[in-house]
Amino acid sequence: MPENSLSLTELNLRVRDAIRDYLPDTYWVRAETSDVRRNRNGHCYLEFLEKDSADQSLVAKARGVIWSNVYEMLSAYFLSETGQQFSSGLNVLVCVSVTFHELYGYSLTVVDIDPSFTLGEIARNRQLVINRLEEEGVLTLNKELKLPELTNRIAVISSPTAAGYEDFRDQLYNNPNGFIFYTKLFPAIMQGDRSELSIIAALEKIFINKDLFDAVAIIRGGGASADLNCFDSYLVANNVAQFPLPVVSGIGHERDVTVIDVVSHTRAKTPTAVAEFFITHLTKTASELITLQDRTINISEKIILRERTDLISLTKEVIHRSTLRLHKENADVDKSSATIKYRITQLIQNQFHLLDRNEQYVNMVSPINILKRGYTLVLKNGKIVTSAEDIEVGDNIQTRFRDGTITSEVINKEV
Amino acid sequence: MEKEINKMTYTSAKKELETIVASIESGQLDVDALTDKVKRASELIAFCKDKLTKTDNELQKLLEELE
Repeated sequence: MPENSLSLTELNLRVRDAIRDYLPDTYWVRAETSDVRRNRNGHCYLEFLEKDSADQSLVAKARGVIWSNVYEMLSAYFLSETGQQFSSGLNVLVCVSVTFHELYGYSLTVVDIDPSFTLGEIARNRQLVINRLEEEGVLTLNKELKLPELTNRIAVISSPTAAGYEDFRDQLYNNPNGFIFYTKLFPAIMQGDRSELSIIAALEKIFINKDLFDAVAIIRGGGASADLNCFDSYLVANNVAQFPLPVVSGIGHERDVTVIDVVSHTRAKTPTAVAEFFITHLTKTASELITLQDRTINISEKIILRERTDLISLTKEVIHRSTLRLHKENADVDKSSATIKYRITQLIQNQFHLLDRNEQYVNMVSPINILKRGYTLVLKNGKIVTSAEDIEVGDNIQTRFRDGTITSEVINKEV
Repeated sequence: MEKEINKMTYTSAKKELETIVASIESGQLDVDALTDKVKRASELIAFCKDKLTKTDNELQKLLEELE
C-alpha cells in the first residue's frame, strides 16, 4: 500500500477545500432546470442541465439546492416577474455558490435568480418554435379552419379536477339563450413534465372520434400556479396546428401568449371566455337564422299582399268590363226590340192596307151595291135563285131590292 | 329532389334555406311555387332551431359512452 494513500473522506475534504478556495465567490450561471422538487422542510432540490443547442443532448449537469428561506423569497419573486411557477424545464439565470460535500458531492446552492433572463428565454424559445412551425407551413393551419355554424359538440382537454373546467361547463350549460351544448372531457395532465405527452394523447383520442365534434377546447385554469411549458411545446403546438377541428385555447394566463395560443384557431384568456366564445358564435348562427326567417316572412307577406291587390284589381276589372258589356247588350236588345216593334207595326199596317183593299173589292162586289145599281135578287124559299129553271109557275118568289123585298107569284115562265 | 330534412346537417339545411329565400326574393316564383317554397323554408327553419335548442339524446348518449 503506497504511503500517500488517502481515505475517501480525506480526498473529498480536499476536493471540498480546493473548490472553496478556488471558487470562493458566487457565480451567475445559465442552465435549464429539471426534476425540481421540495422536501418536507421546504428546501428545494433540482438538477441544472445544459443541452447541446443542436441535438438537445445533455452536455453538462449539476445538482442544485435552494434552501427553504431563500426559496420562499425567490419563488415568489420569480412568479410575480414571469407569471410562472419556478419549475422544471425553465431556462434560468441563477446566482450560485459552488459547494462540495464529502458525502453528497458536488452541488450548486442558489442564492439569487434573474427572472428577466427566463422571460427572455421563454420568449426566445416561443419564437423559435413559432419560426419552426412557420417553416414547416403548419403555423396557421388551424386558424384557416372554418368554425362550423352549428358548433355545439365540444371535446374538452382539461384536468378533470380543474376549477376552470367547472367554470367552462357552468358558463356553457347556463347560457341565457338556451342553446344546447354537448361536451366530452378528454382528461389530461396540464402541467409538469408529463403534460406534453398527455395533451397529445388526448388530442389523438379526439382525432379518432373527430366526426362527433365540432371543436376542441384546451383549457387550464384555477390557482396561481402557472407552469406553461407544455403550452410552448413544439410537439403539442404542431399537433394543435394540424388538428382537423378548430381548437380554442383558454389557458388562463393573462400575461403570456403561449405557442398554443398562437397556433390555435382562437385564443381566449380563460376557460369562461372559451365558453363565452362558443355561446357568442351560436348567437351569431341563431341570429342569421332569424334573419332568414324574417326575410321569408317579409317577402311572403309582400307577395301575398301583391297577389291580393292584383286579385282585387282583377275583380274590379272583371266587374267593370262585364257591366260595360251588359250595357252594350242591353242597348243592342233595346235597338232590336224597337226594330221588331217597327216591323210588326209595318206588317200590321200592310195587313190593314190589304184588308182595306179587300174591303173595297168586297164592297164593290157586294150585292147591296149591285142592288143599288138597279139589279135585284130573286130568292125562293130564302135561297138565291140564279136560273129560271129552278122556278115553277105558281111559286112564290121574293125579289129583293135595294130598299125592300117584295113577294110575287109566278104566273108565267119562258125559257 | 329535396333531401329529407332529418338527414341533413345544419350547414346544408341553412344553405338550402338561403337558396330558397333568395329565390323567393327574386320575385320569379308564381304563387303556387311560392307556397311550396315557404313551406319548405319553415320546415328548414324549424329543423335548424331544433338543432340549436333541443337536446339530441342519441348524441348525448353516444358521447357519454365514448371512452
